[in-house]
Amino acid sequence: MANAIEISWLGSVRYGAALERQLAAIEARRAGGPDQLLLLEHPAVVTLGRGSKPENLLTPRAQLAARGVEVHEIARGGDVTLHAPGQLVGYLVADLAARGARDVALWLRGIEASLIEALGELGVPSRRVEGMTGVFVDAPGTARKIASIGVGMRRWITYHGFALNVSLDLAGFADIVPCGLSGVTMTSLAREQRRALALGSAEERAYFAHARERVAAAFERALA
Amino acid sequence: MAIAVRVPELGESVANGTIARWLVKEGDRVAVDQPLVEITTDKVDAEIPAPVAGVISALLAAEGETVDVGAEIARIEEGASAATGAPAAKPVSAARPSAAPKPAAAAPARQPETPAPDAGRASPMAKRAAEDAGLSLGSVTGSGVSGRVMKADVEAARSARESAPPARSAAEPLPALAAKAPAKRSAASRAAQEAETKARFGSYAIQEGDRVIPMSPLRKLVAEHMVYSKRTSPHVGTVAEIDMGGVAAVRDAQKRAFEEANGFGLTFLPFIVHAAVRALREFPALNASVLEEAIVEKRDIHIGIATETDKGLVVPVVRNADRLSLAGLAAAIEDLANRARNRKLTADELKGGTFTISNPGRKGNLYGFAIINQPQVGILRMGEMVKRPVVRSVGGQDAIAIRPMMHLALSYDHRAVDGAPANGFLFRVRELLEEAEFDL
Repeated sequence: MANAIEISWLGSVRYGAALERQLAAIEARRAGGPDQLLLLEHPAVVTLGRGSKPENLLTPRAQLAARGVEVHEIARGGDVTLHAPGQLVGYLVADLAARGARDVALWLRGIEASLIEALGELGVPSRRVEGMTGVFVDAPGTARKIASIGVGMRRWITYHGFALNVSLDLAGFADIVPCGLSGVTMTSLAREQRRALALGSAEERAYFAHARERVAAAFERALA
Repeated sequence: MAIAVRVPELGESVANGTIARWLVKEGDRVAVDQPLVEITTDKVDAEIPAPVAGVISALLAAEGETVDVGAEIARIEEGASAATGAPAAKPVSAARPSAAPKPAAAAPARQPETPAPDAGRASPMAKRAAEDAGLSLGSVTGSGVSGRVMKADVEAARSARESAPPARSAAEPLPALAAKAPAKRSAASRAAQEAETKARFGSYAIQEGDRVIPMSPLRKLVAEHMVYSKRTSPHVGTVAEIDMGGVAAVRDAQKRAFEEANGFGLTFLPFIVHAAVRALREFPALNASVLEEAIVEKRDIHIGIATETDKGLVVPVVRNADRLSLAGLAAAIEDLANRARNRKLTADELKGGTFTISNPGRKGNLYGFAIINQPQVGILRMGEMVKRPVVRSVGGQDAIAIRPMMHLALSYDHRAVDGAPANGFLFRVRELLEEAEFDL
């Protein structure tokens, strides 16, 4: 059985529009199109998955709205998380049944593995933490989270996916308890590499694009 | 007839999930494949569809509740569209009184249906169109939000019926077929098939005088793991014969000082672990796991040491074994073995191994192939050490020497590891042990 994955870079897309793209991709997959990896960035948005507890949203919605930060409740696993420019978001619309891979845990592990591989190529060793979905970087006495994962599934076609912190402003995470994990610090590729990059600068955009290419390549190797 | 909606299999290692959100309520009419509920497991939120069309007669689990794979979470009273005559005529067999609209559904299937009242599941235009066409809304698959039936859907169902063989009304038989097919895939019928296979190959009827030992929880776990491992990994075995004379010499020279310094004896096991760990660094394919379509070669080396205790087999893990000296390994192994026997191991110490070494004992054990400890891809099993005459080349001449020989047997997972790396790894272990350059 040949697997195919079509990878596209959508640039900056608002959350609602991206969700519609995903739903369209699911229908296209059902109609016989390929699996897709949609890579994009979001303007600041907080999303609440099906696992979320209201107390993990630390800043009231009204205040977030006043700052222009949208809040969405969505049909993906996982608690609350933040998306913002400088974070590489990947939505994987894949038919697990067609891949002979009806195993949600393995799908999550596979996403982690590809991210870990890409991060390795980018010079940052990372790993899984047993019992916690996501990708972590070891630090003295602790592990910092560099990528979050949350997946939705309709009759074995997945959607949603991962968010890899590349060069985003980590201060935004102060509004939430990320993924409901109060002991966990968020980190980014730039922070781990001690790069001070101004969001939107040519340097930052080149850095982001390079990370995106490595991630795309890793997923292509895994899923094509 | 009442059809059970069950939590589907979501993966080998997934045993349960949590009801995140019901998308329907009792009394709702649903189409086949219409999403009924969202179940989350780990970070996946899966929409579970209706196996048949009909009316939700019962919701058996609440939002937030954890449910096992295979558990019944709802019941659907199959709608008027079921083609079977008599069973459909029986009203609600599930004891829920919410089925008021159903008596209309009990009518024989072949006649045009009066559409059952089902507010919200169909647009007003669709309801009107269905009425005109003499179609039951329950038999029309909706293309609108959450499976809502739109007028176009009714038109499509109507033209399908019109182009179908005249003896049947096309809208009805399809849901009945759909109803049969999911039942074949259900966990219940797979279990029935397994029971049949078991019966065919014979079980055992206990006789008087037999000693029946109920399985302890640990025994059950081991049994399950062994079957799972053999079923998952295609095991291939390869053996090497090791001249342990060099190791024996080092051990003899060091053992008294070691015992005095550490309070316990120096066995051969730490030497073997030490060599295996160095060989794993050179052959990372053996320090790996198989994912669905990838192989993960792990960064860290954590060695499981298979240990027999009076309760059964446990495999405590020496973490980062490559960072330990021979003495460090010996101490770690001794500590884990003691705590294993006193049942003082923590859950963390039994997890996370990347490779396992098994030493099942000296007697009657020339060599043997252990079962891989999932999700690893290799396991090394020690055999007994026996003095044997072997041929050694001395100054260009062959001569017979008496040497302590041990067989080391590697079982590996041929999904991920081929013969060359497996044999390469085992040969390297042999080289390291025979060179015997150990530094306590």
